[in-house]
Amino acid sequence: MQIVVAAAPAFVASLVEFVEALTIVLAVGVTRQWRSTLVGVATAAVALAVIVGVFGTAIVVLVPIAVLRVVVGGFLLIFGLQWLSKAILRAAGARAKHDEAAIFDRQVARLRSEAPVPASGMDWISFTVAFKGVLLEGLEVAFIVVTFGASAGQLGPAVLGAAVAGVIVLAVGAVLHQPLARVPENGLKFAVGLMLVTFGTFWAGEGVGIAWPGSDAVLLVLLAAYLVVSLAGTWAVRSQLVPARIPAAAAAKE
Amino acid sequence: MRYLRSFGAFWYDFLVGDRPELFLGPVVALALAWLLATARLPAGVVGAFLFAAVVAVGATSLVLTTRPRT
Repeated sequence: MQIVVAAAPAFVASLVEFVEALTIVLAVGVTRQWRSTLVGVATAAVALAVIVGVFGTAIVVLVPIAVLRVVVGGFLLIFGLQWLSKAILRAAGARAKHDEAAIFDRQVARLRSEAPVPASGMDWISFTVAFKGVLLEGLEVAFIVVTFGASAGQLGPAVLGAAVAGVIVLAVGAVLHQPLARVPENGLKFAVGLMLVTFGTFWAGEGVGIAWPGSDAVLLVLLAAYLVVSLAGTWAVRSQLVPARIPAAAAAKE
Repeated sequence: MRYLRSFGAFWYDFLVGDRPELFLGPVVALALAWLLATARLPAGVVGAFLFAAVVAVGATSLVLTTRPRT
């Protein structure tokens, strides 16, 4: 059970972030130079592995479990609320959904306006854009892997969950050679946000001294309650937007 | 100094971003839950409070984000 608790959120969160990173990497590779792009990806992957290894191990070994649960739970709550509220806004239509194909086109256009690719040696523009893209998208995954892994005492399965997601996205990207625009990113973000908020509440609650009635079983109650509230939130935002759109549409016709 | 400022700006953007209520809200909610737990209130009550506080933070953020700007 603990293994699934650590691996599942890391897997789903990584899937979403790696899809976004793949779009950037493909845009750079296709437009400029594959070799420098892949060196940038590999360097970022090593940097992320070092971050997870150093921080994950240090946190597990050095920080007392009560403090760890408050801090980690707090971070999970913060990240979870950020992911969930963005997903709610997108599901309700208050924010544009993540369109990987459009992002790919924008990246390609931007990269074509850069200096030409050097005839020999490294193309530092390819390297930098790929490195930054993978590092920034991966940093959030690293945070989730470290926090979930450390709190559940299962850093290995959390890393494995993220790695499997990375391999899947990489393999599909290599076969299709185009952005994975059909992945239901918002649905996945909604699910990850729910998991982060649920576990964040549970662990941070334990950290501040709440002995949850029903112990681990309360996780299911929290998850169900947050799901209901989030769906209600989506409905409320959507219904708030509809009256706002009607006068705007009427004004546009006049 | 410039690197230090960019480093700080990066982490601020990463953790807080453009919605500070989603950073401060959980911190305040946890501090209040800790106070209630220290006052020896029943665990179910403190747990329900924490859940309600998290929901309130999320709802406040949604209202702030979607309110019409004048």
